[in-house]
Amino acid sequence: MNCNQIEEQLIDYLDNNLDQKEYHIIAAHLTTCDNCQESLHKLQLVFDGIDNDSEELPDASIQLNFEEMLQKEKEVLSDSKIVSLRKNPKNSWKTALQIAATVALIVSAYFYGKRENNESFSQEMAILEKEKVQLKQEVTISLIENKSASKRLKAVNYAEEFEKPGNEILKALINKMFYDDHINVRLAAAEALNKFSDLEMVRKALIDALEMEQDPGMQIELIQILVSIQEKRAVPSMEKLLLNEETPSYVKDQVTIGLPSLI
Amino acid sequence: MKNLTDEELMILVSNGNLDMMSILFDRYHIRIFNFLLKMTRDRDVSQDITQEVFYKAIKYRTSYKKGKFSSWIYTIARNIFSDHYQSQKNKEQPLDEIEYKIEREETNGIEKSEIKEQLNRALGQLNQSDRELVIMNRYQGIKYQEIAEITGSTAGAVKTKVHRAIHKLKDHYLQNT
Repeated sequence: MNCNQIEEQLIDYLDNNLDQKEYHIIAAHLTTCDNCQESLHKLQLVFDGIDNDSEELPDASIQLNFEEMLQKEKEVLSDSKIVSLRKNPKNSWKTALQIAATVALIVSAYFYGKRENNESFSQEMAILEKEKVQLKQEVTISLIENKSASKRLKAVNYAEEFEKPGNEILKALINKMFYDDHINVRLAAAEALNKFSDLEMVRKALIDALEMEQDPGMQIELIQILVSIQEKRAVPSMEKLLLNEETPSYVKDQVTIGLPSLI
Repeated sequence: MKNLTDEELMILVSNGNLDMMSILFDRYHIRIFNFLLKMTRDRDVSQDITQEVFYKAIKYRTSYKKGKFSSWIYTIARNIFSDHYQSQKNKEQPLDEIEYKIEREETNGIEKSEIKEQLNRALGQLNQSDRELVIMNRYQGIKYQEIAEITGSTAGAVKTKVHRAIHKLKDHYLQNT
């Protein structure tokens, strides 16, 4: 190490901030170098001067002034305590409550609205559905009395679409099956009634229809329906058809095919 | 309460127990006063600033954030001092006045050794930053690390600066003799 580097270490040397190795290097150098020795001496002089520098005491007034200031600040604090200390927690409470209330309101309003909506919606839907069915029945009934055979046919097809047709519809259909001038309308009505054959009223009408029906096509259709619904009460009318000489042979054939499964 | 650390006391103060500040005042006001006295060489100004330091410490007690209390209080002292220095500078206080104050101290001197006065003179010849570092480190015994915290620097940088300042002080001191 040269003298400059040594000089930089002299403060640490005096402060005992060096490790042993560095300390010995400096100490060894100092014994041989007068310049550095001189530097060290001057530094020591300065440090001694600083160390001997005693602290000065401030005037006693500083203590009194401090006490006075402290007292004032305490008064300010206790004054503000009534306002701020109570106010602050209360306020934060209030804010928290306000936020909570707002959130609760929004959430409950959302769910309430959703529920209400659903309820009123489904209610509305039910009403609409009911109205639609009523309307369709009315349309069907009015159409079924139409002069045009194709309109009446259409009405019969409509009637078939009802899941649970009202008595009016059924009566109209039975009426069509019995008395419509047009064979196709009577056939369609019979087909439609087949769908509701689990009702006693319909079954009876089908049996009566077979009794009354003169048209062979219609007779065949009715025989098929009555056989498929296993209506045994139709057996006498079928036997009657067999005995009747006017009955076409192909209708008789249909009866002979169907009768065994009924008896 | 007297057994509590500075930091514990200051936390109490910041929580509203202002009486605890008087213990901290007892522990620190002489040190702060002497730091300022070395910086300003003016007893009245130093006393005023010391008062203000503790006033600000109470006023801004809630801004104390668990760090070393001594660093915090010195930071306040430095800020007030530099504000004061700034306003002094604006007033363009004539140099003679500072000189005068040193001489007055000399004549008013109570057991003031020659060396002490020469050192004070040498201190006055340092720039403010070097002077502050020498005062903090050598006169007040504040460690490099803490000076770094107060001045917003690193311990290594502070050590280098302090060493350079001491060598300058030594040179001024020797030139004066």
